[in-house]
Amino acid sequence: MKKIRVLVACGAGIATSTIVVKKIEDLFYSKGISVEIIQIKISEAASRQTEADMLISTTMFPTEYQIPAIKGMSFLTGIGVEKLQDEIILTAEKILTNK
Amino acid sequence: MSYSKLVSFIEPSLVCFEKAFSNQLDFFEDIFEKAYSGDFVLNDFLEKIILREESFPTGIKTEKIAVAIPHTDAEYINKEFIALYILERPIVFKSMEDNNEDLSVEIIFVLGLKEAHSQLEMLQSLIQLIQNDKLMTNFKEVRSYSELVKLLEEKEKKNEKN
Repeated sequence: MKKIRVLVACGAGIATSTIVVKKIEDLFYSKGISVEIIQIKISEAASRQTEADMLISTTMFPTEYQIPAIKGMSFLTGIGVEKLQDEIILTAEKILTNK
Repeated sequence: MSYSKLVSFIEPSLVCFEKAFSNQLDFFEDIFEKAYSGDFVLNDFLEKIILREESFPTGIKTEKIAVAIPHTDAEYINKEFIALYILERPIVFKSMEDNNEDLSVEIIFVLGLKEAHSQLEMLQSLIQLIQNDKLMTNFKEVRSYSELVKLLEEKEKKNEKN
């Protein structure tokens, strides 16, 4: 089964990213998409983007990336969650079609 | 939603009500002083938490309220804790979503975590709490640690009845 690899980041790599990791796991599971998640500090994202297909962060992005980068704060604020989930799945499906 | 894990993390000696600070720096100095004298954090904690907040702000704005969850790297934490400040006057924190946006924050959770992956349940309940507008409004009125615990435990009981 084709797998999507996701970097989940936040500032310190321990608090908000932990919440988002779980949200992403649940989301992809509900859509039947196989996912591998790597939890990181946002400062590591640039050097680790070769290991993944997309990046989701609860921080602003300090730089541009070669993989799709999505802001995941909606998971924390509770505002715009559905829109975010749709965006994540759409992006993932597009990537999987091209794999 | 069980708030018991969250309650067990909130450190009574680091809970403050109705304090007023002129700005973020005054606030960080206050929590550092308390946390350091209680042996919760290392010496570098103050500098690091200020730096972190500047580069990756932790202001969260829900539909009705704005809170902040400042924290820094695990290596500056000695003993895990959550500190809770309910302020008399809001102070400014920048938004996590847009660091040009100022948020007026009245409730601050300082997270002293060493390994968050083992704290998923507690973090989930923290976010659930923050997103619960009604509960957060009640939170603002709390004036003691025991009132706080009661509020969260009552909420838990209500959930269990459902």
